[in-house]
Amino acid sequence: MYKRNVRSGGALLWLFQRISGVYLAIVLFVHVILLHVMIDGDVNWGAVAERASSPMWKMINISFLVVALFHGLYGLWIVLDDYINAGWARILVFSLISVITLVFTIYGTITMLTLQVGG
Amino acid sequence: MKKLTFKINRYNPDDERRGHFMQEYEVEVPSGHTVLDCLNDIKWNQDGTLTFRRSCRSGICGSCAMTVNGVNMLACETQALALGTDTITVEPLRGCEVLKDLVVSLEPLVNGLYAVKPYLIADAPPPTDQERFQSVEERDKLDGLYECILCGACTSSCPSFWADKEYIGPHGLLKAYRFIADSRDTGEQEHMEALDDKHGLWRCHSIFNCVEACPKDLNPTRAIVELKKKLVKGKVG
Repeated sequence: MYKRNVRSGGALLWLFQRISGVYLAIVLFVHVILLHVMIDGDVNWGAVAERASSPMWKMINISFLVVALFHGLYGLWIVLDDYINAGWARILVFSLISVITLVFTIYGTITMLTLQVGG
Repeated sequence: MKKLTFKINRYNPDDERRGHFMQEYEVEVPSGHTVLDCLNDIKWNQDGTLTFRRSCRSGICGSCAMTVNGVNMLACETQALALGTDTITVEPLRGCEVLKDLVVSLEPLVNGLYAVKPYLIADAPPPTDQERFQSVEERDKLDGLYECILCGACTSSCPSFWADKEYIGPHGLLKAYRFIADSRDTGEQEHMEALDDKHGLWRCHSIFNCVEACPKDLNPTRAIVELKKKLVKGKVG
């Protein structure tokens, strides 16, 4: 008889992967329009930093960071999960990906929050 | 009548030293002959050791699913000349253990099928004086689902199955949805039980190989997406 015991809890993650995909598509579209179409002159540090230092853009950029990290690294986990079957290896790889996600989220958020023009 | 070369992947478990190898046969193919007719011609007139599964020769039993020119199909439903190549390569279904020549073990596929309880589950016994009632509209919902003959062409073309032999597979998931979509079936929970699992629904990455491979033109990927939506709705409410 077929033995099944590994609950995946994949339903909500699957749903959020779709929602985050749509969100990323919208934010990336806005990003490309603002940075590469509507901008006058060169794209330089000053121009980018000035916009990114406003509270609204800080919020948008942090959400962009969190969603992109989740979408990319959860996508990586889904692919790896196809090939990794041993329990200990799954825990190891999943933990590794979780730690990477956490570290980059914290590092990116600090960078974004402390950004000040001329500071 | 045209002379075609059949390149067939041979394997004899009693001759491990030789392993898998390609053997060529030349066959005079009359118009209208299927790949299965040609394989029979080879077996009956050239090489009796050639081994393959076949039974009904009319696209119903699903025994003769194999990889022809790199694509999974039923040998009995495919006309050899219509393939349009002078050399026809015939291999056993991919991702499955080869038992001999073109015969593979379908055990992982059978296990995947059993996991979804592929039969009608109903609370009440059927009425004694008539069949279980189903309206025309309810019956229409089963079109594109009930036609599956379980040949295994879909699952053996699925990269997720190649990576995970315990994956239920498109054939099992399509069959699960066939009963869940059936108005007479009340066992949705029982069919769904195995789906939210490491080897269940979430192994499907919508690669669509199963859709390409199905000799009955069914769409397992669509059935899988419907199941995913059902599972998510059950969680979110």
